[in-house]
Amino acid sequence: MTPAQPPSEPRPAAPVPPRRRFLAAAAAVAAGAAAVLGPIAAGVVAFLTPLFRKPKSPQVRLALLDQVPADGQPRFFPVVSQRDDAWTRYDQSRVGGVYLVREPGADAPYCLAAKCPHAGCFIGYAAGSDRFQCPCHTSAFLLDGKRVNGDASVSPRDMDRMPVELRSTVAGDAQQTEIWIEFVDFQTGHKEPLPSV
Amino acid sequence: MNSPWQAVADWLDSRAGTRKILHEMLDEPVPGGARWRYVWGSALAIAFLTQVVTGLFLWMAYSPSTLTAWESVFYIEHEMNFGWILRGIHHFMAQAMVVLMAIHFVQVVWDGAYRAPRELNFVIGILLMLLVLALALTGYLLPWDQKGYWATNVGTNIASQAPLAGPQIKTLAIGGAGYGHHTLTRFFALHAGVLPLAVGLLMVVHIALFRRHGLHAYRPGVRPDDLFWPDQVLRDAVAALGVLAVVLGLTVYYGGAELTAPADPANPYDAARPEWYFLFLFQFLKYFPGGTEVWGAFFIPGLLLAYLLLMPWIGRSRAGHALNVGVLAVVLGGAVLLTAQALHDDYYALWNKASDPLPEDGPRREVEQARRDASERFLRARREAHDEAQRVIALARSDGKIPPAGALAMMYDDAYLQGPRLFRRHCASCHNYARPDAPDDPRNIVHSAPSAPNLFGLGSPAWIAGWLDPQRIASPDYLGYDGSPFADGDMVAYVQEACGDDVDPDQRQQVRQAFAAIAVALAEESGLPRQEALDPQQVARGRALLAGELADTVPSGTGCVDCHKWGDAGELGAAPDLTGYLSRQWLLEFIRNPAAERFYPDSNDRMPAFAPHDDPALNQLDDQSLGLIVDWLRGDWRLAEDDDQEGGGPSAEGRVVEAAGALTP
Repeated sequence: MTPAQPPSEPRPAAPVPPRRRFLAAAAAVAAGAAAVLGPIAAGVVAFLTPLFRKPKSPQVRLALLDQVPADGQPRFFPVVSQRDDAWTRYDQSRVGGVYLVREPGADAPYCLAAKCPHAGCFIGYAAGSDRFQCPCHTSAFLLDGKRVNGDASVSPRDMDRMPVELRSTVAGDAQQTEIWIEFVDFQTGHKEPLPSV
Repeated sequence: MNSPWQAVADWLDSRAGTRKILHEMLDEPVPGGARWRYVWGSALAIAFLTQVVTGLFLWMAYSPSTLTAWESVFYIEHEMNFGWILRGIHHFMAQAMVVLMAIHFVQVVWDGAYRAPRELNFVIGILLMLLVLALALTGYLLPWDQKGYWATNVGTNIASQAPLAGPQIKTLAIGGAGYGHHTLTRFFALHAGVLPLAVGLLMVVHIALFRRHGLHAYRPGVRPDDLFWPDQVLRDAVAALGVLAVVLGLTVYYGGAELTAPADPANPYDAARPEWYFLFLFQFLKYFPGGTEVWGAFFIPGLLLAYLLLMPWIGRSRAGHALNVGVLAVVLGGAVLLTAQALHDDYYALWNKASDPLPEDGPRREVEQARRDASERFLRARREAHDEAQRVIALARSDGKIPPAGALAMMYDDAYLQGPRLFRRHCASCHNYARPDAPDDPRNIVHSAPSAPNLFGLGSPAWIAGWLDPQRIASPDYLGYDGSPFADGDMVAYVQEACGDDVDPDQRQQVRQAFAAIAVALAEESGLPRQEALDPQQVARGRALLAGELADTVPSGTGCVDCHKWGDAGELGAAPDLTGYLSRQWLLEFIRNPAAERFYPDSNDRMPAFAPHDDPALNQLDDQSLGLIVDWLRGDWRLAEDDDQEGGGPSAEGRVVEAAGALTP
């Protein structure tokens, strides 16, 4: 133990010229800020990484044309595509779902996103029903994707449509028509369909 | 003075001034003496400490990534010693905190305890409240189960509609364009790092300021003043114990916190709802037509928040204070009503019988019907999610455990779970899967006008016997469906002629016995993994009949192998091959191409060839899905349904809340 020392009187500080005092204060603030903000900046820059990664809309083979008879009935198809989740790559991952509807007499089906334009819930369809129904905030859509209640619906726009392409494949003596779509992830909540940023 | 404890206390005091600290902590004056009404703030602080402690222990077992989050929470919940209690306390204490916060807040406003000089502390209190709600929101996702995943999905989508930088906020919050590892790591860093640190720091300031201004006493002159220690501390401790007792009670009552099935981005959870204390916001959004929900989600709550922050200044006058109390009553009352409405919407079908008459006139009838339908969808989704969760948990607890690819991959490989989904998608537009003796079973998959046989029990002796029964074969469950080309076909005619009502009773009895033996022999061919033991004598007799002896029993003199092939006997082409009938291989080949020579080369009714090509890209069904459908139809999956409940600890059954009256799913 160190021997107890009597408290010493503080010595009066030597007078400091104001300019020097200002410089010292400014330097202290600058050095301190650099010491603290430098690491914070490194963290923030790393944290912002996702803003600099632009998502791509993959081209996805969805089904064979035979699987979508021209009966005007919606059929649900999971969208399976390669997907990168940070460090993990999934070769075959279900990234979402869509409905294909082929009107009687139509050559190609149209493709409606199952993601609700309101808040992104999965819109459901019960076989035989005349409408799609969102399970969350009561949005309902007709089979062509239009909102049942129009602008009074909680959904800001009709169901999103995705580009459909028919491709023929031949293997041996068999020929099939495949349905491909560009799987776009649309933002929710806007009147216009905007792809995710 | 001489005891060693005294010496240690003296030493600590001389070095750190502990007596002064203790004095400041415990000898706070309580004007008018200790009261029960002062306990709420302390109870809240202790509840937060409980969350810190239980949270740290959960952290020691939790792993935030999409391949490990659900898995590690499952392990906490079902494998670790009393892990379900630990998680249950954390889960229900979070809800208790919301209730305690509401009480604390109402009391402060009611008492006018926000007035000068306590305005700053009131504002800090509001910030604390927001932080605690943010903790609740971020914690909901961490188990990465269907419930948390889909509720957070909705929450972050709403956040993306925030004015100015909504989409960027969402992208930063979920750590990318889609939900994944970095959604979890970010939510976890917020939940276990940033937010608790902020709450802790603000709480220190909150309590320091509270001490600085002193307790806002209730009728201080009525009783003599007292010190914080021990009377008020005792009351605070008893209150904290009471809160813990309630939390433990809820934990035990519900069997711990719910863990639904692993998050599946491709499989929606139609019953996704936020925690009960956010239900009013959820319901509120239903009233905003498209494009205006920023009002419901941001502007109106923002204005409300601004009002709350201004309360101390508005409440300076008597009238202002009355206004504050009035506004608070309206807001809380509104929240209660909205919550009740949300629950009423969801459980409507449970509380109103389907048989109750619908209103007569058009629009009201439609509204009422839509309401019932929506509620039924919600309840069905809950029930299915419950069953699915039980199944995954049972698989994860079985000897196989969870594979390295995670629980979701395990689910995708499970015929029991995937079979019904694939069947619905690919088979149910023609076939039924309905239990004949339980037509109301919710697991039945029923098409109102089937155009192919009912496949429930396929391959069992009872199902095969139906093909050899003169009535059943002509019923819609077999070949009597609408538009069937087989209703008047050879097989129906053969069975009806062989043992129909026109046949001599003795003869009929003989044929029926022969058919029964054949059904057993064919069931032996199918080799279903879970069927009752078959009588070997019946099998042997049936085989002999199949091979040709039936022709001697039936009046027409025609036997099975006159149309079918059976082993070496008979020819292919006229009717399906009975060799290995309905075995896994047989069914796989059949679904691949029912018009193949072995099955119906000339007489296939509308069944598509699902996978006739060697190149999988040309097929409708991939091999894995095909295998899962076949395995499910044959009842061939890893764990029997009866085994689902095995193992120690509270069963999965007990811990999944029944739909009725569950405020806290």
